Amino acid sequence: MEDEEIGAPYTKAQFLNAEQEMSMLTEQSLKPYGKEYAPAMFSRLSDIARIKMKDIIKWGRSNSLWPLQFGLACCAMELMDFGAARIDAERKGYLLFRGTPRQCDVMIVAGWVTKSVAPKVKRLYEQMSKPSYVIAYGECATSGGPWWESYNIIKGIDQVLPVDIYVAGCPPRPENLFGALMKLQERIRGKIAGYTTRGLSENLRRAEIEGI
Amino acid sequence: MAIMRINVGPIHPGTHGVLRLVVDVDGDTIKQVEPHIGFLHRGVEKLMETRMYMQNPSYTEKLDYIAPLSWDDLYVNSVEKALGVPVKEPALYERVILLEFQRIASHLLWLGTFVNDIGQLFTAFMWCFRERARILKLLEDVSGGRMFYVNLRLGGFNKNPPADFADRCHALADYLEQRIAEYPDMLDSNSVFMERTKGVGVLKKDDAIAAGVSGPVLRASGVEEDARKSHPYYVYDKMKFRAPVKTNGDCYDRYRVRYEEMLESISIIRQAVDMMPSGDAKGMPIRLIGPIAKPDTVIMQEEMPRGEGVIYMVPDKQRPYRISLRSPAFINLSVLPKISEGYRFADLFSIVGSLDVIFAEIDR
Repeated sequence: MEDEEIGAPYTKAQFLNAEQEMSMLTEQSLKPYGKEYAPAMFSRLSDIARIKMKDIIKWGRSNSLWPLQFGLACCAMELMDFGAARIDAERKGYLLFRGTPRQCDVMIVAGWVTKSVAPKVKRLYEQMSKPSYVIAYGECATSGGPWWESYNIIKGIDQVLPVDIYVAGCPPRPENLFGALMKLQERIRGKIAGYTTRGLSENLRRAEIEGI
Repeated sequence: MAIMRINVGPIHPGTHGVLRLVVDVDGDTIKQVEPHIGFLHRGVEKLMETRMYMQNPSYTEKLDYIAPLSWDDLYVNSVEKALGVPVKEPALYERVILLEFQRIASHLLWLGTFVNDIGQLFTAFMWCFRERARILKLLEDVSGGRMFYVNLRLGGFNKNPPADFADRCHALADYLEQRIAEYPDMLDSNSVFMERTKGVGVLKKDDAIAAGVSGPVLRASGVEEDARKSHPYYVYDKMKFRAPVKTNGDCYDRYRVRYEEMLESISIIRQAVDMMPSGDAKGMPIRLIGPIAKPDTVIMQEEMPRGEGVIYMVPDKQRPYRISLRSPAFINLSVLPKISEGYRFADLFSIVGSLDVIFAEIDR
């Protein structure tokens, strides 16, 4: 059980071996100077690693959000503005728009989702590497928006995918997307309002329950 | 060699939206292209029949989300004709100014994404969006909305323009002229850009007329046709401008036509600002029960950034009984199989990009 907790590619046994090896090397290198070696530092490191690994993974995930380059309708224009000269999202590290879902973490659903596009959006979501996050950007992706009465519209992308953040507006300003991504970072770290479980994002909670 | 069938899209970064292309290639040469559309269909025409006249502009704006004001203006213009409401004199000029600014913004966005598609990554994109941001700021200050304005009312606007409107328009026109003049240095001397646009996707004059394309795509094939000249609306007949025409009909000419149109738009803006009379430009407020329409059928056409848009409307008393939209982008897309045949597979994206298609307008 403890082995699994460490996560990552290392098992506990490998960790301990590396530790022993390191302490042996340090001991040898300190010998000529007549100094004594205290192994406490490394054992403490492994303790910290075991406890902190989950937080470190969350921190790493939250700081490398790669969005999928994918636009459906009007809001995609604001998505382009988000990456362009005025807002320049690259300075915060959000802008590594990728053409393939397999390299992406965040799907920004920008635009209305019709009945014929919904299966394709779902397939893209399934192709993304897990855990992946979904932002419903704009009224149409949130609830159907002005097309609520139309016969061909999915009334909100949350009927198809689990959504982490909803952004209101028609279309929302690019600054709102900035805010949404910062909020998503906070939620991935589990930092909202003291409720760790409620603060977790929808997709991350599923990932933890399913053990991904 | 055997013919291979490649599926592109419907969600693909190169297709500017939700377009599915089924391409048959022989080696690297395109044999046949079959576009599949309809992924954004939401029944706008039917929805518009269930709304009052002045509730509909928020639907028409979303038809063409790169230049929302163009469809909005066409719809409001045709409603004004159906209801017999005259437009106030200052509002006529202000509409022309805003429409031309919108045209420049649309062409700038097109240029940025087009150049991005064909491999000249992100420099031109950043430049174009830098200029477009200034235009959107002006339109936002005039109307109150950043992307969707909904500021047109029967006979005018929702509010009067700001006090320094003329000065700001002149300053912005000067800025744009200065910046846009820098583009050819970057693009026309770029061998990658020239190789991928010159002689690619040739649309001949006869084919262009037969297919019924309009706008820059038609003018790049050597036909001088512009709805602003042939069916003048608002005060376009008082303006001195020319419709740029090129003769080769390839991707490069389509770029040149749009580029020169931006310069013409700047000159139209300057003339309109100088000729604009002072006075009230406010239109009628939106009421639950508006004026009653005449029973005559209305057909209006306007020159949009993408071509000639037409509205056919059968008016009822308080709402349109039937409304039909002629989308220029839909007709322009229909020539894609013809003009991409025989070129390389990589050229397909220069050709799709050069047609400047909008799928919200095509699928409706």
